[in-house]
Amino acid sequence: MRRLALARRTRRIDRRALMPIDWKQYEAAGLWDELVMPNGRARPGAGPLLRVLSRLTDEALSERAAAAELAIRTMGITFTVYDTGAVSRGARGEAASQPIKSGGIDREWPFDIVPRLIRKREWDAIAQGLTQRVRALNAFIDDVYHHQRILRDGVVPAAYIEKSREFRPRCVGIDPPQGIWAHVCGTDLVRDRDGALYVLEDNLRVPSGVSYMLENRAVMKRVFPELFKDYVIHPVDDYPQRLAGCLRSLAPEGNDAPQIVVLTPGIYNSAYFEHAYLAQAMGAELVEGADLRVGADDCVYMKTIAGRVRVDVIYRRIDDLFLDPKAFRPDSVLGVPGLMRAWQAGNVALANAPGCGVADDKVIYTYVPDMVHYYLGEEPLLANVPSYRCVEKADRDYVLDNLDQMVVKPANESGGYGMLIGPKASKRQRNAFARAVRANPRNYMAQPMLTLSTAPTLAGAPSSADRLQPRHLDLRPFILSGADIHVTMGGLTRVAMNKGSMVVNSSQGGGSKDTWIVDLAR
Amino acid sequence: MRHRLLSRVAERIYWLGRYMERADNTARLISVNANMLMDMPGRVALGWRPLIDITGSEALFDLLYGESSERNVCRFLTCDARHSSAITSAISAARENARTVRETMPGPTFEHVNDLHLFAHAALGPNLSRIKRHAALEGISSRVQRLEGFLSQNMLHGAPWQLLRLGSRIERADMTTRIIDVRSNDLLPPGLDLAPFREIQWRSVLGSLNARQSYQGIVGAPVTRPLVLEFLFREPGLPRSYAYCLNAIRRHIRSLPRHEAPLRACDQAAGFLASSDLGTLDRDSLHRFLDECQVQLGQLHESITETWFRVPEDTVQPAPAQGEMPFGNNGFAPREATLPKPEGSPR
Repeated sequence: MRRLALARRTRRIDRRALMPIDWKQYEAAGLWDELVMPNGRARPGAGPLLRVLSRLTDEALSERAAAAELAIRTMGITFTVYDTGAVSRGARGEAASQPIKSGGIDREWPFDIVPRLIRKREWDAIAQGLTQRVRALNAFIDDVYHHQRILRDGVVPAAYIEKSREFRPRCVGIDPPQGIWAHVCGTDLVRDRDGALYVLEDNLRVPSGVSYMLENRAVMKRVFPELFKDYVIHPVDDYPQRLAGCLRSLAPEGNDAPQIVVLTPGIYNSAYFEHAYLAQAMGAELVEGADLRVGADDCVYMKTIAGRVRVDVIYRRIDDLFLDPKAFRPDSVLGVPGLMRAWQAGNVALANAPGCGVADDKVIYTYVPDMVHYYLGEEPLLANVPSYRCVEKADRDYVLDNLDQMVVKPANESGGYGMLIGPKASKRQRNAFARAVRANPRNYMAQPMLTLSTAPTLAGAPSSADRLQPRHLDLRPFILSGADIHVTMGGLTRVAMNKGSMVVNSSQGGGSKDTWIVDLAR
Repeated sequence: MRHRLLSRVAERIYWLGRYMERADNTARLISVNANMLMDMPGRVALGWRPLIDITGSEALFDLLYGESSERNVCRFLTCDARHSSAITSAISAARENARTVRETMPGPTFEHVNDLHLFAHAALGPNLSRIKRHAALEGISSRVQRLEGFLSQNMLHGAPWQLLRLGSRIERADMTTRIIDVRSNDLLPPGLDLAPFREIQWRSVLGSLNARQSYQGIVGAPVTRPLVLEFLFREPGLPRSYAYCLNAIRRHIRSLPRHEAPLRACDQAAGFLASSDLGTLDRDSLHRFLDECQVQLGQLHESITETWFRVPEDTVQPAPAQGEMPFGNNGFAPREATLPKPEGSPR
């Protein structure tokens, strides 16, 4: 029915004047597109969206894109107005006003106006799988810092933990509230060309991106208000309240109105916008290390104009090693001396807890399905990408023999750095990686190269027939664990804006899309 | 509202207020001087040097330029990046502070400050013609005023706002004493029939402080030194008079928690003014009086800093190099990998 209506409409309008999008021209062959099937039809649920897009003239499409850009600017999501050159001109070092190393701060926040769509029914199942996964991960971390049953039972080799860069001996024996270590988890999901969904990795240290998920929605409401009429789109804007609730539940016993702060490394951090955004949305203070002191009573205080104020919960967005120069890196100026002491004494809660990165290790990742079995006695609801552990000989041999088809990842990098993408690498790069794997197999795991699913993205030149082109994407939902577990409605969809690229990291040319969880039954 | 304002944020807001006011004051100073020179007889070489003295930046200026020509002085005061109190430098510093406290200020604040910054850097160059210079300085002042107006109408009048105003008013009080100090030096050679030009000099003092009309309205008498001094120091209704500024400072201080020490410092300054007989001050004793006013403002600033921005353990933070930049407080060389902190030192 819908399809028929669409066909009739396109016949009626003057093609040249309007340049409507012809989904049959959309080149999704050999790909799994989230909105368009290979025959040019809409995937279930995507019909109204595709119809609206088809009705837009080329000019209107450009207008919407411009409106999105403007919205992003006026909402202050980017610092594009910022320019550094002028001030430092002629300045010698001594005379102040050397303002900012331009670095990541000026980057335009890339956003694509075509949303990505997931049906509520499918999402509910995914959310259940994420909940299960995070429960298992938290059980694992707590176990690793206590009895290490899973190691002693030989489910996960103890050597992995002993050699883990993220294992913190200082955390052994600590009991964080409710036994939860990873309060905020960002799990990356991908879909392969056959439509199968996989977990790519779990980010347990200081996952970022959630503010962009919220802002993407706010921008979409300005740019495509009419679509919100056609769909029942589940809102995402309860996240800051959920996060605040989760953090409150960690406060030391008996404190009804705990003081919560967001600890940021400061304005030069690429996620500073998000730190400020979340602090504001939660009504928490945004603090830097220098704002906090650990008193002689092992409690944490912040320095305010009214004097010192006790801090109960710290949502820290600083890596473990920079948290406390007394406990970790002595040269760190970002952290708070004595913070670990205060945390160990139970006088302040840290989210995420120090040491939880031990489960955020790409080799440990390969054991998550085993953890689900081991701790929960359940079948994993979400699958890992098939993975090979380079430390195991059979796996390693396979990986080395098939390097040109594998993605090889180091255990502890993030942001897409330090990987080998076999099919795209040169022979020399592959050889270099093979040597690295042989030299330190513990540090590597490998996965077959997936073809990530795509969605139509405004990538072609204005008034070209292929203005909307498929671009590869992933999805990062956020899972909050406190008194209870909450999964965001969708998450942050990241898009590789360059044709054919699968690298979605914003540090490497990735963009983002709004993610809609839609109810079809109305 | 809870008093949850972080000391670090408080300090940056305070300096935002100071730098905005400084940029505005410097712009006025240049405009008024240019105007005055045009009214002076050609043989009287008042020149541009007094502006360097007003801003207390003799050492740096002499090091960088030597000759106090109009071009050199204007360049130094408007756009010399080596001079931390040049208009462009003050505005950059204001913007830097605004940027780091974005989440505390009303939404578009940073955009306004940024607009001011972009304007200043585009409009103020080293070789401005007089006509363009005038327009540029007007543009600076009007943008600062707009920002002030925007903030006073859109910002919750809580602690951050009070600190913003506190900084601005201390800067203003300080500038008022400096303008009087330099302009009160009777530079006209004695013995000549230059009475009309003496009046011009005092009119220019009034002009520097936007107070000519008010003077006529309130004092209503010819422009003479004792009357002008009395007016500029004690007139409670004149927004740039020393007394007005001290009153405002007192109000802002009282609205903040733990204000005992700064309040004492402020009352001390007010007491000193009240006990001074301005009419009897000759050239030298006036100079000493003004020096004392500036010292007291410096102490007030110290007290504010100690009370609200520092904590005892803070001594580990490297102190800003004081005295290098006589007129400058914005010595924020980037510290390690963290924020550039607006670092204050009294002039």
